Amino acid sequence: MALAFDEFGRPFIILREQDQKTRLRGIDAQKANIAAGKAVARILRSSLGPKGMDKMLQGPDGDVTISNDGATILEQMDVDNQIAKLMVELSRSQDYEIGDGTTGVVVMAGALLEQAERQLDRGIHPIRIAEGYETASRVAVEHLERIAQKFEFDVNNYEPLVQTCMTTLSSKIVNRCKRSLAEIAVKAVLAVADLERRDVNLDLIKVEGKVGGKLEDTELIYGILVDKDMSHPQMPKQIEDAHIAILTCPFEPPKPKTKHKVDIDTVEKFETLRKQEQQYFDEMVQKCKDVGATLVICQWGFDDEANHLLMHRNLPAVRWVGGVELELIAIATGGRIVPRFQELTPEKLGKAGMVREKSFGTTKERMLYIEHCANSKAVTIFIRGGNKMMIEETKRSIHDALCVARNLIRNNSIVYGGGAAEITCSLAVDAAGDKYPGVEQYAIRAFAEALDSVPMALAENSGLQPIETLSAVKSQQIKENIPFYGIDCNDVGTNDMREQNVFETLIGKQQQILLATQVVKMILKIDDVISNSEY
Amino acid sequence: MASMMQPQIILLKEGTDTSQGKAQLLSNINAVTAVGDVVRTTLGPRGMDKLIHDDKGSVTISNDGATIMKLLDIVHPAAKILVDIAKSQDSEVGDGTTTVVLLAAEFLKEAKPFVEDGVHSQNLIRSYRTASTLAIEKVKELAVSIEGKSVEEKKGLLAKCAATTLSSKLIGGEKEFFATMVVDAVMAIGNDDRLNLIGIKKVPGGNMRDSFLVDGVAFKKTFSYAGFEQQPKKFLNPKILLLNIELELKSEKENAEIRLSDPSQYQSIVDAEWNIIYDKLDKCVESGAKVVLSRLAIGDLATQYFADRDIFCAGRVAEEDLNRVAAAAGGTVQTSVNNIISEVLGTCEIFEEKQVGGERFNIFSGCPSGRTATIVLRGGADQFIEEAERSLHDAIMIVRRAVKNSTVVPGGGAIDMEISKYLRQHSRTIAGKSQLFINSYAKALEVIPRQLCDNAGFDATDVLNKLRQKHAMQSGEGASYGVDINTGGIADSYANFVWEPAVVKINAINAATEAACLILSVDETVKNPKSESAQGDAAAGAMGRGRGGGRGRGMRRR
Repeated sequence: MALAFDEFGRPFIILREQDQKTRLRGIDAQKANIAAGKAVARILRSSLGPKGMDKMLQGPDGDVTISNDGATILEQMDVDNQIAKLMVELSRSQDYEIGDGTTGVVVMAGALLEQAERQLDRGIHPIRIAEGYETASRVAVEHLERIAQKFEFDVNNYEPLVQTCMTTLSSKIVNRCKRSLAEIAVKAVLAVADLERRDVNLDLIKVEGKVGGKLEDTELIYGILVDKDMSHPQMPKQIEDAHIAILTCPFEPPKPKTKHKVDIDTVEKFETLRKQEQQYFDEMVQKCKDVGATLVICQWGFDDEANHLLMHRNLPAVRWVGGVELELIAIATGGRIVPRFQELTPEKLGKAGMVREKSFGTTKERMLYIEHCANSKAVTIFIRGGNKMMIEETKRSIHDALCVARNLIRNNSIVYGGGAAEITCSLAVDAAGDKYPGVEQYAIRAFAEALDSVPMALAENSGLQPIETLSAVKSQQIKENIPFYGIDCNDVGTNDMREQNVFETLIGKQQQILLATQVVKMILKIDDVISNSEY
Repeated sequence: MASMMQPQIILLKEGTDTSQGKAQLLSNINAVTAVGDVVRTTLGPRGMDKLIHDDKGSVTISNDGATIMKLLDIVHPAAKILVDIAKSQDSEVGDGTTTVVLLAAEFLKEAKPFVEDGVHSQNLIRSYRTASTLAIEKVKELAVSIEGKSVEEKKGLLAKCAATTLSSKLIGGEKEFFATMVVDAVMAIGNDDRLNLIGIKKVPGGNMRDSFLVDGVAFKKTFSYAGFEQQPKKFLNPKILLLNIELELKSEKENAEIRLSDPSQYQSIVDAEWNIIYDKLDKCVESGAKVVLSRLAIGDLATQYFADRDIFCAGRVAEEDLNRVAAAAGGTVQTSVNNIISEVLGTCEIFEEKQVGGERFNIFSGCPSGRTATIVLRGGADQFIEEAERSLHDAIMIVRRAVKNSTVVPGGGAIDMEISKYLRQHSRTIAGKSQLFINSYAKALEVIPRQLCDNAGFDATDVLNKLRQKHAMQSGEGASYGVDINTGGIADSYANFVWEPAVVKINAINAATEAACLILSVDETVKNPKSESAQGDAAAGAMGRGRGGGRGRGMRRR
């Protein structure tokens, strides 16, 4: 990377290790960056929509992921190129904020870059393109706001929510059961939602999966599911009206944290020590019994002696329960986590209507259901499926559905899916473009064209003629001036997305457009790439 | 000097550039010009960004001159001076870092033909110095004071300055939005000089418009133990206790050992340990605090204990966050829980844990002393937020300078054109060589409007001639005309609110001239060829000594 030469034609050494660095500048840099961005978008393009295909990704350790979720695919791809990384982050940030539409946002950004390339060839300054895009994105977002519809729902009438979640799930591998899964997701979100503050803490929804059974067996548990069993096989498998002691201290004689040593020099002393230990166990169990606990859940383990004693005293116990689960149990049952036996009081016990241990199929694995809790603000979705990949993908799909339901609770505006929103935005942007004097007009039109690429990809993935379908829908939208016509991916026979019940959240769509524009602007603004040549 | 002859010979053998005198001077000028060319394209609202990929694989996308210069990792001794002036501009005024590099490079470029013609560089230096003094006086004269306006009016004016800075950055599309935010933040901390009272937190996800300003402190939820979710997450007017101790069950002394001979004493030792921690916790509770923050860990025991008593706690809070809470809420950080009096407890109107994107944030707002503000930045990608943070930093610095030194000059190259005109006029009154030098200095100043046009893809010569005509008007009414970046023509920058604080320009001219003079005064470089890494440093150090008063050299950002 020679920056300069002196009078004799020798290069100056200006940068450290100058000859090992590569530098791309001007239009070349922009072209290279756009190519990288487009490449990423191309990978995801075929995953878009209900007829989109999945990707199979093999990790470095041979682990296999099969997914349709944009964010997951990009995350696992482990891209190296800088611009491609930006696209990955774009998808991730859509995932963080909205949770759904991670594929769409990348496809959108890719289309914007493709259009930008054409404008660059025309000799338009990249910043002017970026500014035009920004103006256009604002137009599109405002237009969406205008056409969005409020979606009334309440705790009893959650059908609209289910419909929206179904749209999300329809593009996933689990679309076979989308109805039941969507219902599960909506019920779960409603259970933990704070409808007054319009806030949903998704941490309170636990998603568990276990291989075996079939997808239809997936269920929503108003309570907690713990992948543990009773510490002793002979303990009762079912406890009604359980009073649960939630402990973070082990069933062991307490140990001081300071280094210590017990000098035992006589048999008597040894005996006393043993007795003392036994007495400890006895006291601990007694203490639990005294406060009225009928089940002990412990973060740590306890040895066989304690186990035996618990069994003997008829006090069922569960050991080695993780911290997060412990917390969820505490929230669900309204109990307090008790760090010390001395602190146990009847008020601190959690209450659950039913605790039962359930075994699955022919395997010996058992899980513990804690149901009918005092406070149902913590729920668990328990997924069953034929294989591990299926369960993992279902988990991701459910996560998307949960996010959609949460977004609707936050803001109950919706727009119509199936590319309908993009098409109407494209029309609006195109019309708005003519009002702007100057070079931006071209960029704005390019934006409109880029918006078309989403319905185009949808049609393509569904095996339809992309151009024909798109132009048909577009003309239909203009003719009837109704923004609800989209691509009929499932061959239902109508283009009216209202009839098909294909909805997406308004904030999700707006976010997609804004984020894609933002990242594209960033990429367009780079005119100089300096890197070590090994990259 | 005799000892220096030795490496020279080695250098010759290796073919390194060891030329003295004029050749060396020219070679230095060329190197500086080359570096100037790198940052050239980032100037102005239509400036482009650079993507720099370092050998560790981390990537920075930036428009900020100082950041780019720093990351370029320049080893050429003369070119390194440019890095230093960019840094000094950054620490002095925070903005105009590209301008200063560009000016320095341009001054030298203009000097080059004279040097080639055999002018003694000291002559050039003297004239440049005179020119810079004159230029600075002129800037001061032209500057318009915004003093004496009402607070509201002043805020509006400051926002204009901030918007000018932000317009060249990635977040330029939302400059009004961020400009108001920055002004509010700077106004919040008042005249206090501690910049760290303005916190910038970055949360990936969302779009720029989701960024918000908290009139208090916000920080990310810290690591929490089981039981945390059971703590209340919202308080009105809580008392806040700030600690710098661990609230964990642990051995009191690392090296202590307890020997027990009687097993029955066992329990008493255990109890003793528990009592120590319970004692601490009790004292926290007794103090009446509803929010307990500690710089060190708050263990699971304490978390559950506090949850039990409806107290919120957060351990491992970053020190700067804790200090900002202390400043905002009016408390003091305690290193012991003994004798907590109510004076050391802070308070705020609302404490809340809130979801921001994928993270949960602890937000303290409505603090009584109001001396702090936190900007929570949102954006699509990490690099995007990083760059936004740098841009906001620049804007904050600008606003602060403008608050203190409330004079502004029109931007968009207007002030540069005006000084250039003034210097040209002045040069005519001088007899002798100096006339030419000052004239070339004046010409160099025109690089700013020229580059603005070039970056925007306008015909620079055309625009520049229009500007010259306006500025040459006798009435002086054209004095604030600069490049109109939107139409490719010229416009009154002052009327269009393209403003920058005068101090930015003054400092830029000063630093650039000084750097140019410094490079002009060097006629020999001695390099130690053996150690590659020491080579740059040693030479730059030797040259750096000539520079006056160590003005912020080597100071790091933030």
